Amino acid sequence: MKQLSERIKEAAFGSLSSGQVEMVIGWQKGPLWWQSFPAFITDPGETASLIWDPFSVSNLNKYLLNEVPKKKIALFLKGCDALGFNQLLRDGRVEREKVLLFGIPCDGLVDPARVEATGLSKGLLQVKKEREELVFYYKEGQRKAPARDFYYSKCLSCRYPNPVTCDEMLGEAVPCQPLERFANVSKLEAASLEERFTYWSRHFSRCIRCFACRNVCPACSCRECIFDIAEPRWLGKAKESGETLFYHITRAYHVAGRCVDCGECARICPLGIPLAELNRKFIKDINELYGEYDAGADLDKEAPLLTFKSDDPDVSA
Amino acid sequence: MSVNLKQGPFEPLIIAFCCNWCSYAGGDLAGTGRMTYPANVRVIRVPCSSCVSSNFILRAFQRGADGVVVAGCHPGDCHYTSGNYFARRRFLLLQRFLEFLGMEPERFQVHWISASEGNRFAAVMTETTEKIRALGPNRKLRDTR
Repeated sequence: MKQLSERIKEAAFGSLSSGQVEMVIGWQKGPLWWQSFPAFITDPGETASLIWDPFSVSNLNKYLLNEVPKKKIALFLKGCDALGFNQLLRDGRVEREKVLLFGIPCDGLVDPARVEATGLSKGLLQVKKEREELVFYYKEGQRKAPARDFYYSKCLSCRYPNPVTCDEMLGEAVPCQPLERFANVSKLEAASLEERFTYWSRHFSRCIRCFACRNVCPACSCRECIFDIAEPRWLGKAKESGETLFYHITRAYHVAGRCVDCGECARICPLGIPLAELNRKFIKDINELYGEYDAGADLDKEAPLLTFKSDDPDVSA
Repeated sequence: MSVNLKQGPFEPLIIAFCCNWCSYAGGDLAGTGRMTYPANVRVIRVPCSSCVSSNFILRAFQRGADGVVVAGCHPGDCHYTSGNYFARRRFLLLQRFLEFLGMEPERFQVHWISASEGNRFAAVMTETTEKIRALGPNRKLRDTR
């Protein structure tokens, strides 16, 4: 990890000071142990503040949409971010020649909620990763624990720990050992209709419609979003189960066939709604009905909802 | 909407999005052929089954529909060559998704009805109305306001 941190600083300094790029987007440490914020750096002198630690989870490529670079922007991509970047490219939202990509092999990042759940967070000052272990630093000493126990669930089922696209790889490729990603979807499919409805309405009833899941999503990049427009007002403002359901169905449906399954929606949700399962249901159905398709990775295949075959399965009446 | 405000036994409200070139003409034929189908069905004419957005369907449910039918040309017969092929993919996914969220699958149906199938139009609408009547009112996706 530490080595990678150094390489990030070097890469950022090199590309900024040579004038190759005008901005570097990376991560910076916040005041608390679990805070690693996106950082936007234009001065080569500030690149020393860039870090890579077990909490550098934010996907940086959505920030590209807000920047209009004259030269280039340099960006650090993990495996999941690279899939999202490919999707943004495919949707025509970024220009490949305007970005310089540094790939970061990543075998998983730490979910602060899991650290808190184990009670290790009390008086915690810093967390570092040493090979397969996490080291927790306190005022009076340190403790160690296996790192994989604290990973985000999206990291445990990650299929692309090494970026599928980048200009320069920083660090060695890491092995991939994903858990079955459709396990929860299959479990729900086996449940009865009423059980499913109760499960989802319980989750959706917590939704505050902050739109974080939309904002973070690399497949949600429309210039004008259906949820924002006032005329026609498709989505009302009321705290209302029908409206919330409308929002969640529409969000998942709009990214069907383009969702790269990076799991950011579920990760970012402040209320812990398992949003990735909604997207995975679409991915699973698309794979079953129209052939395997991996958005963000299968660049030579046509997107499943932008094409058809005359012998597709019929809509059951 | 008025159907459900009436006192008495439950009468389902069904919104049918019918493509201008086949299913709407099929409905016309059912009318000129004096075939009967339930008055619970409200037909909305659309240019093509593929232009029925998921928003229309969800909004219908929100505002009181108990069932939604999308009807279009048979695959291969689309007036715009391929619209219904795209619609077929999208609606199959949407149907399975709504079922995944716990909606009864009967509430959202897709049928292919050609301009010459007036009797089929009447039969589909009758059958759908009876299915939804048996299911009872839609409470899951409905606005409670």
